[in-house]
Amino acid sequence: MKQITVVTESSPGLLAQVSEILAERGINIETLNAETVQDYGVVIFTVDRYDEALVALRDAGVPAVSEDAIIIRIADEPGALARISRRFHDAEIRLRSVRIIRRDAGHGLVALSTERTERALELVKDVLIS
Amino acid sequence: MEAMTEDKALTAEDEGRLDDFYRAMEVESSRSLGYPSNAVFDYSDLYRFLHFPLNNIGDPFVESTFRVHSRSFERDVLRFFAKMYHAPEDDYWGYVTSGGTEGNMYGLYLARELLPEGIVYYSEETHYSVSKVLRVLALRNIMIKTLANGEIDYEDLRETVRIHRDVPPIILANIGTTMKGAVDNVDTIQEILRDFALPNFYIHCDAALSGMILPFVKDPEPYDFAAGIDSISVSGHKMIGSPMPCGVVLAKKKNVDRIARSVEYVGTLDTTISGSRNGLSPLFLWSAIRKLGPSGFRKMVVGCLKMADYAIDRLREKDIDAWRNNNSVTVVFPRPATPVLEKWQIAVFRDIGHMITMPHVTRDLVDELVGDIAGTEP
Ligand SMILES: Cc1ncc(COP(=O)(O)O)c(C=O)c1O
Repeated sequence: MKQITVVTESSPGLLAQVSEILAERGINIETLNAETVQDYGVVIFTVDRYDEALVALRDAGVPAVSEDAIIIRIADEPGALARISRRFHDAEIRLRSVRIIRRDAGHGLVALSTERTERALELVKDVLIS
Repeated sequence: MEAMTEDKALTAEDEGRLDDFYRAMEVESSRSLGYPSNAVFDYSDLYRFLHFPLNNIGDPFVESTFRVHSRSFERDVLRFFAKMYHAPEDDYWGYVTSGGTEGNMYGLYLARELLPEGIVYYSEETHYSVSKVLRVLALRNIMIKTLANGEIDYEDLRETVRIHRDVPPIILANIGTTMKGAVDNVDTIQEILRDFALPNFYIHCDAALSGMILPFVKDPEPYDFAAGIDSISVSGHKMIGSPMPCGVVLAKKKNVDRIARSVEYVGTLDTTISGSRNGLSPLFLWSAIRKLGPSGFRKMVVGCLKMADYAIDRLREKDIDAWRNNNSVTVVFPRPATPVLEKWQIAVFRDIGHMITMPHVTRDLVDELVGDIAGTEP
């Protein structure tokens, strides 16, 4: 099941907002996991209609990350991200792109684009958000 | 035989719509403070060229059988920029693009062809057009943090390059970031690359706005071919001003020639990204260059920098924490309230907003904006 992740500044209404956007288009949420990490709200979910859900969220201006990325949280210090990419490098797993999605309060949330394999997830299990 | 045209007029309703649109544009263009578009220019002496289907299709340096084009003007424009950016005299190539994005695309395309295994490093505050280009070109890429002023974080870059030292680096350096006008120091970047003794690397500069500022200030940050870069993209509609978006990209000819050799289907070699290309924008740029020239541009840039300082002074008087980077006309301040953003077409990024003191921005306009910001709670 392909997952979607929404990361925003922690706002109590985020979960309700996401549910409402999807409900309006008749998209059903199948699994859901919401948490607050530092100052961010993170909602990870799966739906019955994946592509439509992504479009609905985009139209509503909610930044959603698709299945193609692994999201991690790391300390905001020089080389922190480099050390993560080193793990992939050593494991000979190719990262297509590494993007910082948020950075504040001493931490960064980062999207790694690579195949979402068990091996890849294992490499970042200590910092994995979704 | 008669030409196949028939005179058709617009309806009164359509005419009315155009009139309304005209009036709206008159107001909006002069009140724009948040986007780096110069709104004062007069190209009316060039309007007669709107009668021709100008098309600068293909390489501006190769003659074409199609003769309704302005390539000789385009080459003059390129020569002007090449000289200004200290490109090697007989070893530069480039063209007038549709804007900053196409220039970045060309630079990164060239980099990829030269270093197919390369990884692109670019900072967090890079314009989103670069992410788009990276995706289109399927280039591997790693985003690097920025310092508080918007410059790339050199320590983070160093650590990241260290880990991937077996992969050729392709650096996308920002010469004026979109939100803070920050300039990545290409000297410092090259020191880092040299420390790792990397034999092959490529530096492309996204100089969308500041590519028309730095040549005209006393102490420019290093940014051009003299500083060791490989290609540069600058927008034409930003500082110079143009009725249509345009830009210039320049690269080293020896690099362009190297990739030309590797293209399979020799004979149809067209080195530009788009095929048919705008033949009017080179005329606009050429005419601005002829009329203003380096001294006119310098005056314009000095005026914009002064206006930026004026804005900072006025904002600080109201206890608004405003600042700008060295040699930048982008004045950064805390994100203002929504009505202010809407009225002034101000772009925001997280908790900051900015005003860009382009040549059409007057003291009156700045005063009015400052009054609005100070008069509302953020
Ligand atoms: C730094 C930077 N690079 C690239 C661009 C994209 O340029 P264009 O819109 O001319 O394609 C912009 C646009 O604002 C920019 O600010």
